[in-house]
Amino acid sequence: MNAFDLTEDQQDCLQELINVAMGQASDQLARYLDTFVYLKVPSIEQVKSEHLIDTLNQDLKETAVVSQGFFGYEGIRGEALLIYQPQDSNRLADLLGYEADELTFDEQIIDLSSILTTTFLNVFASQIDNQMSYSAPRLLSANLGTVSEHLQQQSFNWDLALKVRISYQVTDYSFNCDMVLLIPEQAIINIKTVIDRILEEF
Amino acid sequence: MLDTLCINISNRLNTGILILDNDFNIIMWNRFLEVHANKKDNQVTGKSVFTVFPELPQKWFERKLSSVIQLKTQSFCGWEQRHHLFELSHSRPITTDSHFMAQNCTFLPVEVEGEVERICILIEDVTDVCHYQTQLNKALHELALSNRIDGLTQAFNRRHWEECLAKEFSRARRHNHELALVMLDLDQFKLLNDNFGHQGGDKVLVDTAKSINDLLRLGDIFGRYGGEEFAVILPSTDLVGAEEVAERIRQTIAKSTVDYQGRSISVTVSIGVAIIDEQDSRYEDLIRNADLALYRAKAMGRNRVCLAEETLDKKTIVA
Repeated sequence: MNAFDLTEDQQDCLQELINVAMGQASDQLARYLDTFVYLKVPSIEQVKSEHLIDTLNQDLKETAVVSQGFFGYEGIRGEALLIYQPQDSNRLADLLGYEADELTFDEQIIDLSSILTTTFLNVFASQIDNQMSYSAPRLLSANLGTVSEHLQQQSFNWDLALKVRISYQVTDYSFNCDMVLLIPEQAIINIKTVIDRILEEF
Repeated sequence: MLDTLCINISNRLNTGILILDNDFNIIMWNRFLEVHANKKDNQVTGKSVFTVFPELPQKWFERKLSSVIQLKTQSFCGWEQRHHLFELSHSRPITTDSHFMAQNCTFLPVEVEGEVERICILIEDVTDVCHYQTQLNKALHELALSNRIDGLTQAFNRRHWEECLAKEFSRARRHNHELALVMLDLDQFKLLNDNFGHQGGDKVLVDTAKSINDLLRLGDIFGRYGGEEFAVILPSTDLVGAEEVAERIRQTIAKSTVDYQGRSISVTVSIGVAIIDEQDSRYEDLIRNADLALYRAKAMGRNRVCLAEETLDKKTIVA
């Protein structure tokens, strides 16, 4: 067990916090988007930097990825990656309530990414008496080929990250996407401190 | 005291601060906006943001802000998606060609007792970033192009042309499509260089490349293979079709003359044609077959089209 591993209690607590946040976020999103949004039970695991691409790659061929950094008090910070497959994106403008000719495809997925990320993380943050700030979302690439290239060229300054993967489904628009939160080493320690405080309070 | 300090600082920021109420009326802005919008404080306070900035896309803007109010989250609008929202002057009016300030905008909810009562819009001037990024993209585009083009003839260079052939070859194999290759060489080019000098030779290369290019269809891939040797990839083309193209090229070039310093130079080409064969395992085999046919065309007296022997055998069998 290394310093970044979560104990069983910590893992359960984080899972519970995320579950509650997902429930509230999906409720808010449903109201705003005027349709049901399902969030599938998340997976929480550690990922090594050299395996990051593989874990994103899985069954994806042509994909768009939007990245948005986030940070709260107590040193909780990381990066959210929103992963889209092109066949899912036909009716995005419709879903967002914009006229299709009002904004480009890039702008649509950037806008949606920002909404999904910030809504979820705001609710999550409020559960741990925290508040999040965000960087502007950026389209890393319109297809995964270049995203892998982009990531491969980086020598990361982290070896290990906590990875939380949540799938969003909007059945009325037959739309799916994945949100992957990546929290690097030092921030894992910080989040463990917060979880321990919550566990003590119970 | 603290208020005065905050106002002082906000007025000296190199970022626009615009605060709206939930009905999109302007509550306040800082000096950055006053200067760059070129309007006085008292002309804007209490007015609708759409009156002060009629250029705003109203429906889009309202929807964007509704997400801030309803979801209580911040929202963004970057210059790469929208160059600017507000028509503002910027800090590089002399040394860039940008008419309006390129902007990154952030929309922040300002909550009072859990309800969003105001929206704070931060407007950053990124005209600089936008200017250099645009120049960089342009340079990259030109670089990519010049990397593929032969400077003299404007045909694809050997390296790029061969990459194309490799791709077309594997595509034809995969989908069981036809693929033809035409290789051509200018006849007695050395003699021509001796008579007219290298600049005369260059003029012949340029004009010949242009005449060939004019005869090709969209999708045909034309490259300069070597000194006076050109090659054309013809996707989805059978032997009959390729022979026709080759013959048309031969006749067109034989008929036309190249004007050089008041003299007219006549030139002919020898052409070899090959099509993809079941035995060809690599694209190089296709080049070899076309090349052998080209040498035969030369040996038989030049200014003619020869078909690769392998493909010729097949043609005879079919006939």
